[in-house]
Amino acid sequence: MLPIISAETKLSQIIIEDPSVLSVLNRFGISLGVGDLTIEQICNKKDLNTTFFTTILNTFRDPNFFPEKTLYSFRAHLIVDYLKKTNQSYIQFQLPNIERHLSLLISKSDSTGSNLLIIMNFFREVKAELMQRIYDDDNRWFPEILALEQQCDTVPDSPLSTHGIDTQDAIEDKVNDLISMFVIHLKGDYDMNLGQAVLLALDSIKKDIVQNNRIRLRILLPLYQALITNS
Amino acid sequence: MHPVVAIICSDTISSLGICSLLKENFNADVSVIPTEHQQMQLDSILLTDFDFIIVDEVVMIQNLSSLLPHRNKVILITSTETKLRLEFAYISRHSSTESIVATLGKIFKSVSKKSVRNNGLSSREIEVLKLVAAGKINKEIASELNISINTVLTHRKNLTAKLGIKSVSGLSFYALMNGYIKP
Repeated sequence: MLPIISAETKLSQIIIEDPSVLSVLNRFGISLGVGDLTIEQICNKKDLNTTFFTTILNTFRDPNFFPEKTLYSFRAHLIVDYLKKTNQSYIQFQLPNIERHLSLLISKSDSTGSNLLIIMNFFREVKAELMQRIYDDDNRWFPEILALEQQCDTVPDSPLSTHGIDTQDAIEDKVNDLISMFVIHLKGDYDMNLGQAVLLALDSIKKDIVQNNRIRLRILLPLYQALITNS
Repeated sequence: MHPVVAIICSDTISSLGICSLLKENFNADVSVIPTEHQQMQLDSILLTDFDFIIVDEVVMIQNLSSLLPHRNKVILITSTETKLRLEFAYISRHSSTESIVATLGKIFKSVSKKSVRNNGLSSREIEVLKLVAAGKINKEIASELNISINTVLTHRKNLTAKLGIKSVSGLSFYALMNGYIKP
């Protein structure tokens, strides 16, 4: 298990140890050039909720870290806001990044015996499914949660048990399958640097989707159900 | 690897030229199929143990729907920048002998790697894979293959373990990639 990040941890140290956290930091308006500040100092400077920020960072870095009680204590709009920003980063950066590298890989590879075009079609199907989920989040689920929260002045005290909820969904399975296709089934001659770039980009979105799903299904869904019950 | 190859071309000179080149450079086991028998024999050729089928554009266009599902074993001889080059491995009619031999070597190498992997799947697993890719649910697969649902589940678990692919979409794209289903 990775050491838990606390409010006193220096943010620069976390980025140096695991640069992939940068995608999470960007969602909180933090970019490179963080100086020598601790998380608490940066959160004060940016007017961020320090506990929420450290909890999100810890859940992203370590799949075994999932403090349900702490996460339940946050208001739903904080979680919705974070998930909205996550969705935006898929649309604006991560999906275009994969598509751009994959297109370049196809254009620079020898098409003889290659199956990259079929892999590209599979990627487009996964992308369409993720975009549909984001559309549903933005137009149905998130507005409904925010409206319910406004009706409920206090935090619902008894979110439903998450026992038995499968935190892995179809999109996560498909991203895993895309990675397998690259690692196990890729054929033909291809540009190795671009192949590695696609794989890293897929791994990055996979890590994000896994964390996103745990927050969606184990925290936001029970909170939503509790808000319905309390309303 | 000594590839087993069928050649079906609309002109005899091309057939004989490729045949000679394959025998000299790859020690291939080659059958030249006369085009008057092509229609009748194509389906049985596709189902038999030829590693590769080499066709020219005339034969390709006449038999596109039959050949597409077997794209992993079809090699096109072409002289134009046809879109078919995106779907099939190809050799260019006007290339040098060295270039044709190099291209064929690459194709044989990539498919030989794949067939080693495919050997990991049993014929029953391939049947289940095709039905999953066709959108059938476990109950329908069990009924179609006359096996129990538990056996279907075991085959599906084995497919996932061997291929590293879990989702129905992923399995469908894998089946398409390897010519088990038509696009």
